[in-house]
Parts: sequence; C-alpha cells; structure tokens
Amino acid sequence: MAINEVYLEIDAGERIGIVGPNGSGKTTLFNLISGVFFPEQGSIYFEGKDITRMPPYKRAPMGIGRTFQIPRPFGSATVRENVAVGAMFGTLGSQVGVREALEIADRYVELVGLQEHRNKPAGGLTPIEKKLTEVARSLAMHPKLLLMDEAMAGMHPKDIDNMVDFLKRIAEQESISIVAMVEHIMRAVVGLVQRVVVLHQGSKLVDAPTRDALKDPRVVEVYLGHPPEEHAC
Amino acid sequence: MSDRIAKYYPLIPVYSVYLALFLIGKNVPGMWQLIAMLAFYSAIGQAFNIFLGMTGYVDFGYVAFMGVGTYGMALSISHLYHVEWLGVWVVLIGFLLAAVMSTILSILVGAVALRLRGAYFAIATIGVNEGFRYLIEGARIWGGSEGIIFYGQLAQAVGRKTASILSTFWADIFVFVIAGVAAFITLFYMKGKIGYALTALREDEDAAKVMGIHVTKYKIIAFITSASLAGLIGASAWGLKVTNVFPPEVFEIHYTIECIIIVLLGGAGTLLGPVVGGLIYGLSKYWLTVIIPGFQLLIFAPIILIVIIAFPEGVIGVLARRYRGTPLGKFIA
Amino acid sequence: MIGEQLAGNLIQGLFLGGIYGVATMGLSLIFGVLNIVNVGHGAFMMVGAFIALLMFNTFGLNPIYAIPVAFVVGIALGYLFYYTSIRKLIKAPELASLLATFAIGILLEELVKLIFGSEFRGYHWIVERVDLGVTVLPMSKVYALTGSILVAILLYVWFKKTRAGMAVRSVVEDDVGAGVCGVNVGWVYGMSFALGISLTVVSGILLTMFIPVGINPYMGGTYTLKAFVVAVLGGLGSPYGAFFGGLIFGLLENGCYTLFAMIPGLEPFAMTRFFSFVMLLVILLIKPTGLMGTK
Repeated sequence: MAINEVYLEIDAGERIGIVGPNGSGKTTLFNLISGVFFPEQGSIYFEGKDITRMPPYKRAPMGIGRTFQIPRPFGSATVRENVAVGAMFGTLGSQVGVREALEIADRYVELVGLQEHRNKPAGGLTPIEKKLTEVARSLAMHPKLLLMDEAMAGMHPKDIDNMVDFLKRIAEQESISIVAMVEHIMRAVVGLVQRVVVLHQGSKLVDAPTRDALKDPRVVEVYLGHPPEEHAC
Repeated sequence: MSDRIAKYYPLIPVYSVYLALFLIGKNVPGMWQLIAMLAFYSAIGQAFNIFLGMTGYVDFGYVAFMGVGTYGMALSISHLYHVEWLGVWVVLIGFLLAAVMSTILSILVGAVALRLRGAYFAIATIGVNEGFRYLIEGARIWGGSEGIIFYGQLAQAVGRKTASILSTFWADIFVFVIAGVAAFITLFYMKGKIGYALTALREDEDAAKVMGIHVTKYKIIAFITSASLAGLIGASAWGLKVTNVFPPEVFEIHYTIECIIIVLLGGAGTLLGPVVGGLIYGLSKYWLTVIIPGFQLLIFAPIILIVIIAFPEGVIGVLARRYRGTPLGKFIA
Repeated sequence: MIGEQLAGNLIQGLFLGGIYGVATMGLSLIFGVLNIVNVGHGAFMMVGAFIALLMFNTFGLNPIYAIPVAFVVGIALGYLFYYTSIRKLIKAPELASLLATFAIGILLEELVKLIFGSEFRGYHWIVERVDLGVTVLPMSKVYALTGSILVAILLYVWFKKTRAGMAVRSVVEDDVGAGVCGVNVGWVYGMSFALGISLTVVSGILLTMFIPVGINPYMGGTYTLKAFVVAVLGGLGSPYGAFFGGLIFGLLENGCYTLFAMIPGLEPFAMTRFFSFVMLLVILLIKPTGLMGTK
C-alpha cells in the first residue's frame, strides 16, 4: 500500500508543500488528487464536493490544475496554443472560444516571460522554457488548486527565486491554492509555502507551519541532510 | 473579421486542386477515369485523416465503413427501385442509408474499441472489416456471398439513360463533393476547440486528460466523422459507380493500406496532406501499373517504412513547418 | 453420435490450438519486451509456410527438417528488421511501430508474391494415421502438436535457466533498472525481437503440418487476427499465456464450427471467422489484460 491514512486539509489561497523522500507516497497522493487513479479507501473532497471517483478531465474544469515533474507540453503545438488549451478546458471552458482562449493565452505567455517564443512549437524549447509553458498553461486554466509536481527540480537557484516570487504573487492575486511537491525541503519550498506536510512511508509525519516543521527533530532525522540556510526562512 | 476569413485560406489550395482535376478530366479526352481515381484517393485520404491524422490512432479495419456504405446504396436501390414516385431519389436515400449505416457501425465498434489505448485499439479494429464480411457471408444477409447486382434495378428506377449518366459521371462528381466536404470539416475541426483537444490527446493523452479534455468524447467525434464520410465515399465510388457489391471486394484490407499510405505520405494531421498524398499515390499507382502491374505495394511498403522512420510528418508536414509564419504559410495547413 | 463428433472436433481443436499458441508466443514476447505489436505477424508465418513448401517440393524433405531452417531464417529476418527499422521506433509514438510492422508485413507478402506468384499451393506429405477412438488423425498433426509443446517447453527453460533468458525477463520487469544493473538493454531488445520473429516463422511450418494446403502470399492475414485473439486471451505480454490462450482458442474455434454447422441457414466457416472477431472484442471489453497478462 503506497499511502496509509493520510489526512490533509487545504484552505482556499493556502500554499503548502508536501515533502518526503522517494517511496514516501507523495506521487501516489498527487495522482489521487488529480484523478489518475482512485483510492481503495477514503475520500477526497473539493469545495465540498466528493471527487473521489471523478475522472481527471472533470476535475480540471472544477479548478484542479497540475504540472508535471518532467514538463509535458504538447510538442507540436506552439507555446501560445499550449497555453490556450489550458484556457479552453479549464474552469472557464464553456464560456471560452478559440479566439478568447488565444487572447487569454497571450496574457499568460507574457506573464511568464515567453513572448518571444510564443509561436514556436513547444517541443523545441529548453527544459526551463517548457516548465514555464506548463506553468502558464496551468494558470490559464484559472485553477483554484494548483498541484505542482517536483515544482523546481533541476532549476538554477536564481530561477527558483524568480519562480517563487512569481508564484506567490499570482497565487495571492488570483486566489490559487498551491500544493508543491518536493523531495527535499529546499529554499524554493521554504520561500513559497506557508505550511509543510512531511510524508514518511505512506503516512503523515508532520503537518506544521514551515518554520516549525523545519525545526522538528523528526523531520531532520528523516532527511539526514542539512537544514536550509537561515536567511531563506 | 479578416482573421475569421483568413482561417479558411488553407482551403484555397485544396479546392483549387479539385477544380483543376475536374477541369482536366472534363476537357481532356480519356482522362476521366484517372481523374476519378485521383479524386477517390484524395477523398478517402481526407476522410481517413480526420481520424488517423488528428487522433494518432490507426483503425486497421477502416475499409469496413466504405463497404457498409456501399451496401447502403445497394440496399436502397435494390429494395426501392419499384417505388415509382421515388425515381432518382433512391440514390439520395442510398447516400443517407450509407451514412446512417456507417455511423451505426462506427458507434458499435467505437463503443468497445475507443476506450482502449493505442495498440489495443489497433488490435481491436484489425478484424472489423473481415468480421463484417464474414457476418454477411455467414449469416447470408444482404445477398450473402453472392452480393447484390443492381444496375438493372437502377435503370428501372430512373430510366436507362439517367442510370448510365449517374454511374459513369455523377458518381465521380459526388466523390469530388464529398472530398470537398471532408476538407471543410477537417479545417473546421483543426481550427476549433476540437482540433486543440485532438492535438493534445494525440501528443500526450494523460496530460490532455489532466487539462480537462474528455478524450473519449473527442475520439468518438473524430471516429464517427471519419467513418460516415467513408460510408458516403463507398456508396458513390463503389456503389453508384460499379452498381454491384460483393463482400470479398468491399471489405478488402488493401484499401485500408492505401488510406494509410496516402495519409502518411502526404502528411498526417494536415489539411493538404491527404490531397497531395492521394495525387502522389494515385499517379504512382497508375504509372506503376503499366510497368509492374499488381506490385505497387512492393514499392510503397518500403517507402512507408522510410516515411515513418525518417519523415513522419509527410510532405505537407515538412512544408508547413518550413513556411510557418510566412505569407505562403497561411495557405498550407 | 453427436457427442463423439463433438469430442473428435474438440481434440482437433486442441491440436490446432497448440499451434496457435506457439504462433502467438512470438507476438507476446515482442510485445512483452519491446512494447511493440507486430501487426505483420501473419506474414512471418506465411514465410515459414513457404519454407516448408520449398523444402518439401524442392528437396523432398519433410517439414520437420524445415524447422531449423525456419528458425535460422527467422532470426536473420528478425535482426534485419530490428536494425533497419524497429530499433529507431522503440521510443517513437505507438502509431509509428504499428504502421511500421504493418508495412513490413506487406513488404514480405509482396516479395513472396513476386518470387512465387499468388497461386494457392500445397504439399502432400504422406504419413500414417493414428486412431484416437473418437477421431482419426494423420501423424503430421501429432508431430505438429508435439513440436508446439516442445517449443513451448524449450522457451520456458530458456527463460528460467539461461543468462540470456534472465536478462530478457529483467528488461520486461524494468528496462531502466535492468540497464543500471549492467544488462545491455539494446542487445536484449534485438535478440528478443529476433527470437519472437523466428518463433513466428517456425510456427508457420507447424501450421502447414496441420494444413498443408492453401499456401499463398496473403494467407497470413487471417492468422494475424487469430494471433491477436489468442494473445489478448492469454495476456498480451505473456508468452505462456499465449500458449494456453492458443489451446483455448483452438477448442473454441472448433467447437464453434461444429455448432454453427448444425444451425441451418448459416455458413459455418464464415460464421466461425466472424465469431473469432467478436471474441476479440468481448475479451477486450471484459478483461483486456487476459488470463495471465501483466499489461
């Protein structure tokens, strides 16, 4: 069993980080929330509705968006078209036609700084550009909850700081809850999230505001790594 | 406003080709049969492309829809020819029946097969054409293995002269019309939400689902569209034109192979691709039939392999990419 | 009387089923290791059938001798196609390998047609007949079944006991992990493909021992469909499942034929073919992973 009795509650606009080493159950948890598979026991509620067995394509228009660890934009479509897909099938889906979606896309493409690449096929971009495309695409869905899988894996520290600032701003502006999943407590997560949930072997070990979680001896024990620098908190 | 019209520019080269073909066929003596063949290949290419090209799924049993459509026309004429006031309307009913029957078959097959992923879907479809053929022969419905011959009945329904014109001229014209309709639908899908959804699911089905795309719904739409167009083409190019239908002939996998070659060569998922593919294949086949009759597949099989490995986008795919963003690029899709 | 006839038919079905099983083992092996569906499957069986035909008509050698020849030819063809086309398509979208194997099948059919023409041919191997009580069988069919079982056992032993076999199994489990452990994954892919192809070609020989007539370049098509039914029955990635799936399918097919023959107004041969197709859809609908499948 990958996950055993995890109880998790997220408020609107809250930003939390889910942390845990390989095998702790993070990916399974993510897949359950985004609908890739269904739990044998237990339930998932979103804004009061039971979505436990809802297929993934229905969760998106409800407001659950997701990015992937290795970015998966649609390679043969341009950046602009990729982001437009988010607008077309997200929470605004039914009210948005192709033209409006492309306009919304333009806005978000600019927001993440990819204007010069907007008409290039996404397949030819650098990994970080692909990541930004994915982020823009998810944001264009106007999600209420954004699941970010290994949010800043493999990114340059400076890019991480930029991304963190950007996400914080957007999240506050558009009232998006973010669940960022990472393997280690990194400067990124620390800067971005207000609360940290640590998973260990399929169960919740710690669920506390970031500062407190970092100081928790159990967390340090799980990680055997060095705690992040002081000034990142 | 101009943006809205510009969306449809890519239809211009397509319709120009069809018009050119028609004019050549009408005015150059002896060319009509070749032209009819080229139109046929472009038409089935376009119809097949709506599913293969846009979803990335291959239906190995595709010819079944053409066969069923042929039966639609055959059944209408052979059962209604004696109804006097219908006259030439039996042909229209034939088309309607063809579309309805192929749609029903596609819904039946799709209900099972479209829930399956890629390879399983292909496996599921591989027996559809044979299966249907053996159903007809085995249960001895619709004339069983003897088929239906209905020229005489058509002549009775509309008169000898009209029957002759219908089957030697109008049958081919209808194929042009269906090709034109298929082209329009293709572009309409490509530029609309359907196109975005299909591209997404073709590229990465799981990511598409997470983005909120109901992949099965869109697969079904593409599948049914493609199937009903095939039915109409079968009704016209095989039914009305040849005025007979035999199970082993209209359910032959050979035609699916040709569809695959045409779409792949020309460029799967593009608008102009199947037209170009149809022309290349049709002309090559015509030429090869003179040199090495019956062996055109021997040449095309390795060509297909090379295309798959080295040029998967096909002719138009490569051109569209090269001219993207340029004024010429607005006409290539 | 009917009971006896049914029993006789069922035994025949079992025998044929063994051959279907071996024929499909190659298909399942290739899918299990490379995740590629060999849509040109039937064409390779056809190649085997022609090898049996050639060896008998030209050299007067009975098909048992053709088996090692078929094995070698199969390995050669397998490696040929692997290195020229398949290898480049392992990471490509599924559509690419489906169409490529389809094209390879067509290429084989057309080449054979070019060399041998499209007439139906056969050979006539005179053997004694064996009386099993409810039915009488020519020894050739007994040889065919024996051959099938032998191949299945050999493959089983190979998988479990040899280093090569274990390497293949590790790749099926986890190709990245196997690579990290030092297994030459590319080599395993090539070998598995070649082995799968040669199994298929050999099964063509066994098939002709059962049905020594009707050999023509396009005979493969029917068997591709049957192979898929068997493969899905047994589980697409499992060669053993394929063998048992084959036995079951053989039984069902024969039973079907007998039943349809008893219903007036139906043509049993065609209806059985239709039924195979329906069976495929039903299995895919209910349990696509088959009896022993993992995918």
